[in-house]
Amino acid sequence: MAGQAAGQAVEAPLAQRRGVRWRRWLGLSVPGAIALALLIAGIGADWLAPHDPEYINLGGRLEPPIFVGGTWDYFLGTDDVGRDIFSRLLYGARISLIVVGIVVPGAALLGTLVGLIAGWAGGLTGQLLMRLVDVQLAMPAILFAVLLASLVGPSLRNVIIILLIWTWPSYARLVRADVLSLKERDFVTASRATGAGPVWIMRRHLFPNVVNTVVIIMTLEVALVILAEAALSFLTVGAPPGTPSWGVMISEGRDFMNVAWWPIWLPGLALLIISLTGNLMGDWLRDALDPRLRNVR
Amino acid sequence: MQFWSYFAIRLVQAVFVVFIVATTVFFVSRLVGNPESTLLAPDQRRPEAVERLREDLGLHHPLHVQYGIFLWNLAQGDFGSSWLGGGTPALAAIGDRAVSTLKLGVAGVVFALALAVPLGILAALKRGTVLDWLARFVAVIGQATPSFWLGLMMIFFFAVQLGWFPTGGEEAGFRSLILPAIALGLFELVAIMRLTRSGMIEVMDTDFIRTARAKGLNERVVIGRHAVRHALLPVVTMLGLSLGRLIGGSVIIEMVFAWPGVGRLIIDSIFKNDFPMVQASIIVLAASIALVNLLVDVSYRLIDPRIRAGAA
Repeated sequence: MAGQAAGQAVEAPLAQRRGVRWRRWLGLSVPGAIALALLIAGIGADWLAPHDPEYINLGGRLEPPIFVGGTWDYFLGTDDVGRDIFSRLLYGARISLIVVGIVVPGAALLGTLVGLIAGWAGGLTGQLLMRLVDVQLAMPAILFAVLLASLVGPSLRNVIIILLIWTWPSYARLVRADVLSLKERDFVTASRATGAGPVWIMRRHLFPNVVNTVVIIMTLEVALVILAEAALSFLTVGAPPGTPSWGVMISEGRDFMNVAWWPIWLPGLALLIISLTGNLMGDWLRDALDPRLRNVR
Repeated sequence: MQFWSYFAIRLVQAVFVVFIVATTVFFVSRLVGNPESTLLAPDQRRPEAVERLREDLGLHHPLHVQYGIFLWNLAQGDFGSSWLGGGTPALAAIGDRAVSTLKLGVAGVVFALALAVPLGILAALKRGTVLDWLARFVAVIGQATPSFWLGLMMIFFFAVQLGWFPTGGEEAGFRSLILPAIALGLFELVAIMRLTRSGMIEVMDTDFIRTARAKGLNERVVIGRHAVRHALLPVVTMLGLSLGRLIGGSVIIEMVFAWPGVGRLIIDSIFKNDFPMVQASIIVLAASIALVNLLVDVSYRLIDPRIRAGAA
């Protein structure tokens, strides 16, 4: 009897917990679906795009989208030289994905490494590395993007280099802060006492403990990187003119803003939705993995 | 640690940061390209003319000598003169532009603070109501909106369609400041509001608020004198980061709104290969960000004596 009652007492909260867990995953469903759509759009642009994104058709300039009287052939309308906006948006997604795919893991790797070393070594090495972070904070990245663009011409490669330089310090700072407290913990002291070297401790004891932090920042950085790429391309120092990058599209649509709203609205909305998605996923992940980081950004 | 030694250490660190920025700018801008392509018309580019120009500009020295001269002049406060437009001293040219950028930055901060703090406090006090939900919804959207796109949209609606504000420039005085300040400040508004809200929620749960209420204090005094002060501490730190971001972010907003500030000066100078202007303005910009960060750190220490330098 008593055993049965105890069993019931355990079962009820368990069912409740299942409900909570299920609802928790629900929060991820919408952003997850959008992220998936972005992934499909970027990877499958070659098959999904109804038109060549760079094909100029001066006969069909500024065709409106379908919901304001356009045709199904160009259902999101065309831009000022008659290029299909839907196709350009798809290829734009690919550009965003390429930049994110290189910058986010690259910066995470670099920043984590610097943070681990700066936190572990402390002293002069740590100080020097952290001053590097300060330098980056005092140096507006946009200006260096412009400098670099005027040196070698605007290119996606520049954007990637600049964004790598721009974003690694956020990882370094948080990882360092974590390491500073971790290295005082008993398990690290014990490991040192048994003769473990710094590389071993970093790999086996410190890294596994900071990996959550790093993953959360990576997710939150996705939106930041996409917006930054668009901003640089908008300033004509990112993706070269004519490329179907969302930033370039906004910059090119700017001159026709008063005649046609779609060439500038649609890529802008795409940016907004994607960066919203990135932020929501980051928040979700942070709440799930590490609520301590609530005020990081 | 004594306050002044802490201050001295932070000052040395700030100077070091500016030095690194200056060095980076020097070498990057030397790689950017040859000035004769912009300073001389194609038919003037005879070898001896190019040689004379390079000598006039001091470019005939080896790079390390140029760097030495650059640092020596910098230490004496000589930022060089523009290579264009009759050789205006760079610092004087920046001075005018800096006033514009400062105006824009201050307007952005004021806009962000004036809305973010009351909204954050209200959202925290009315937690779970429609107001709170609305504030958080706006925050999520605001944080995801690209500032340059928002700027363009506002120009389209409020300047072109409705004609309430000018489309750019700063000739219209206060009216021309409003749209760029909103575009610049929105991101910070969201950040400060979130911070205020979470700070308020946390502080309303603490013992000293309970004590203040138990003493029979008026709720307005409890919130205004006890809770808000405490909740705003992290906002002060945030403000430093915000100002830094605002100065950096003003570059793109200045381009969107044709605002005659330092950011546009830098971008124009880069495209014209005007090295001294580029160097001087980037250094001034970096120095002002470093200065703001320094002031925030120091003032934070003054406000909250619990913070020790080691914790920062």
